Amino acid sequence: MAETIAHPVSEEVHAEHTHHPELSFFRKYIWSEDHKTIALQYLFTSLCFLLVGGLLAMGVRFQLAFPNAPVPFIGTLLPSWLVTSAGAIQPGGYNGLVTMHATVMVFLVIMPFLIGVFGNFLIPLEIGAPDMAFPFFNALSYWLFLVSGLVLLSSFFVPAGFPASGWTSYAPLSSHALYNGTQAGQSLWCVGLFINGLASIAGAMNYITTIINMRAPGMTMFRLPLPIWALFITALLLLLAVPVLSAAAAMLFCDLNFGTSFFSASNYGQPLLWQHLFWFFGHPEVYIMILPAMGLSSEILAVNSRKPIFGYKAMVYAMVAIGVLGFIVWGHHMFVSGMNILLSATFSFSTVLIAVPSAIKTFNWMGTVWKGSIRYTTAMCFALAFVSMFVIGGLSGIYMAATPVDLFIHHTYFIVAHIHYVLFGGSLFGVFGAIYFWFPKMFGRMMNETWGKVHFALAFIFFNCTFFPMHNLGLNGMMRRIADPPLYDHLRSSQPINVFVSVSAFCLGLSTIPFLINFFYSIFKGPKAPKNPWESNTLEWTVPSPPGHGNFETTPTVYHGPYEYSVPGMEKDYLPQNEHAPETARITAH
Amino acid sequence: MNQFLSRKSGLVALLISVFIASGVPAYAAQRTSGLWWMPDVASKSGEQIDQLTYFIYYLTGAVFVLTQVVYIYFLVKYRAKKGVRATYSHGDNRLELVWTAIPTAIFIGLWGYSNHMWWDVIHKEPPADTMEVAVTAYQFGFSFQYPGASGQLGRSDVKLLSADNVFGNDRSDPLAKEDFQSSVFELPVNKAVRIRLNSRDVIHGFYIPQFRIYQDAVPGRTINWVWFIPTKIGSYDLACSQLCGSGHYNMKAQIEVVSQEEFDKWYKQKIAAAASAPSANAPAQSK
Repeated sequence: MAETIAHPVSEEVHAEHTHHPELSFFRKYIWSEDHKTIALQYLFTSLCFLLVGGLLAMGVRFQLAFPNAPVPFIGTLLPSWLVTSAGAIQPGGYNGLVTMHATVMVFLVIMPFLIGVFGNFLIPLEIGAPDMAFPFFNALSYWLFLVSGLVLLSSFFVPAGFPASGWTSYAPLSSHALYNGTQAGQSLWCVGLFINGLASIAGAMNYITTIINMRAPGMTMFRLPLPIWALFITALLLLLAVPVLSAAAAMLFCDLNFGTSFFSASNYGQPLLWQHLFWFFGHPEVYIMILPAMGLSSEILAVNSRKPIFGYKAMVYAMVAIGVLGFIVWGHHMFVSGMNILLSATFSFSTVLIAVPSAIKTFNWMGTVWKGSIRYTTAMCFALAFVSMFVIGGLSGIYMAATPVDLFIHHTYFIVAHIHYVLFGGSLFGVFGAIYFWFPKMFGRMMNETWGKVHFALAFIFFNCTFFPMHNLGLNGMMRRIADPPLYDHLRSSQPINVFVSVSAFCLGLSTIPFLINFFYSIFKGPKAPKNPWESNTLEWTVPSPPGHGNFETTPTVYHGPYEYSVPGMEKDYLPQNEHAPETARITAH
Repeated sequence: MNQFLSRKSGLVALLISVFIASGVPAYAAQRTSGLWWMPDVASKSGEQIDQLTYFIYYLTGAVFVLTQVVYIYFLVKYRAKKGVRATYSHGDNRLELVWTAIPTAIFIGLWGYSNHMWWDVIHKEPPADTMEVAVTAYQFGFSFQYPGASGQLGRSDVKLLSADNVFGNDRSDPLAKEDFQSSVFELPVNKAVRIRLNSRDVIHGFYIPQFRIYQDAVPGRTINWVWFIPTKIGSYDLACSQLCGSGHYNMKAQIEVVSQEEFDKWYKQKIAAAASAPSANAPAQSK
């Protein structure tokens, strides 16, 4: 199968696809090897995990605003490792909530949304291929991902509950049951991340092979839409970074359960080794979670501005630079970890360098909307907000890159604000935009724009109300991961900010409701979507919504880049990649 | 599309005003000083660090305002209008060069400035009369060990750290015998203090926001390069800022910055008390 699919041009493949036998229910919906079905499996699963991760965050915010107050409604139903007999969250349980919120959001929400959903859905469709190179591994990747999620969440039911040493799981807290008190949960964390790593590796290898080998005739690398470039670089980062985390998780599991001492201070172990391994994965991971969102938003910005991407090649080179530099900046998480202080200067330097490609991308996005003809669709609103939020997240990163300032704000809420501006205002806004944009192609129906805008407005406002004041909390000196801030003299006066942030966070949580209703209602009742509702150029919009099995009736041939919008000398303001330009069109190369 | 824009802006404005009206005034009354900003700085290096923080604050603030004003201007000006087509452009290499070179120059300049300060704050040798205090972090607290009458801490080694020798004192060193312990971090104002930082179990944080200082305490390692000069008399919290277990939320110690005279009085009392009571470092206790 893989052998034949690797040659999309061959006639037999299409004969095979057009006369495809009817698949059984199991093969069609459960163990499906169709990339579009797998993308939808990822989509629904990640949405469920998004709700779980969101609820955990609500628990965290409730405790921070109202320390030691009983959790309303469900307090007394919660297990005893999490709450007191009165139903108030315990400090140890709070650490579990924090740990699982981050772990779920990173590994079960943002990564699968960006890479699982949009990687799977868009790569074959946008490069003109009938499916992925290895459909079996693609299906395997999804099921491994689901298992990893269930393993992680099953820690809710084990003795002592959730792992509680933070999503970064610094050893030796994480590696000694005596210190963390959550041996079962922490072990499940290691196993879950190990399995999750296998899913990522299977997916990454598939994406790389597909993009290199299966592009339609005429689809040169510099004619690839930016989401594909972003996913390509992301897949390379995954392949190089994730095995390091998997190995580290396996070592941690052995320390925790079999008495090895990779990360212990005694027996020649080295606690800092964990941090080096974790952040060697962890910093590329940050870019793994933002690059695809950059690619998706770039596409939405160009289509809705009716303009070519400003500086397409600069955008590609900037992403390559981010990918390369991403591997030599991990030490900026460790300026004050006790590693050699000379190293801090080095890592500080590479960190300021990696800010440059991010700046380039921002300017090019602004160049893209400049002199455009902007259509304010919901997808566009999210993509536009993505740029602004990314700017805030990027600028706040400069504070931390400056080592002396990091002495003050390290491990405070300033960092929490920073990461949420990048991961929520950046990645998740990118995901929301992409869902609104590609929903018609996924389900063959349109989402409601009015309710989409309501969702956008609420999410945008409450996002900023929730996370912007966290900068101030950080400047107040509020440490991360403390369950009861007013215990500290210097934090007592800032408790009102905590209340404000929490109320905003609850509203932010509620703002998801219009989205969910719109999403599920539109799947069944939305107006039928035409082939190309946004008048877009990329190949997925040249096939029916949703595309059939095998995607393309005949293999498309690509004649130009993906961003030929508003070409002078043409009647319509877009030019699909597989359409010959009329004689009068005056196309210039990018 | 444009109809929608105005409807949306109305909705946004309404929501913002409702939100602000309902939330902020209720808490505004409780506001005390320093609610939105850094706590008053209370150390020498902290004053330096604040200069850099302010510099970055104005720099990033200016960049933010500038980019956003331009961006929002574009978004309003170039909204879709009937009969107006977007301008066809793939970009401009000169512009790319400009907005690559300028940020690179700014960032490298900023790195030079901040790295110079890092050297000053962390690498520079403290003054000769610096007092050294051993600090050991544990689940969930800090303990402190001061030098005895000689003014010098005895030798210590992380390998000697154990339940009954929490500072890892080398008990063969006579200096170690006169060291005394304290549960409060008592410091004379305007005098340099260097810490000898250890951890007994997991990684802890040594964080004093008013001093703008943070350092992890790592088991198996002695960190001896952190020093600072308190500049304001007062009480502060030494907080653990690295997740260290179920008691992390309340892991702290009291810092008392006092006048030199008051410190000398406290110091004498402590030495006298240590001499009359069997100290933790007395040979009788070591095996």
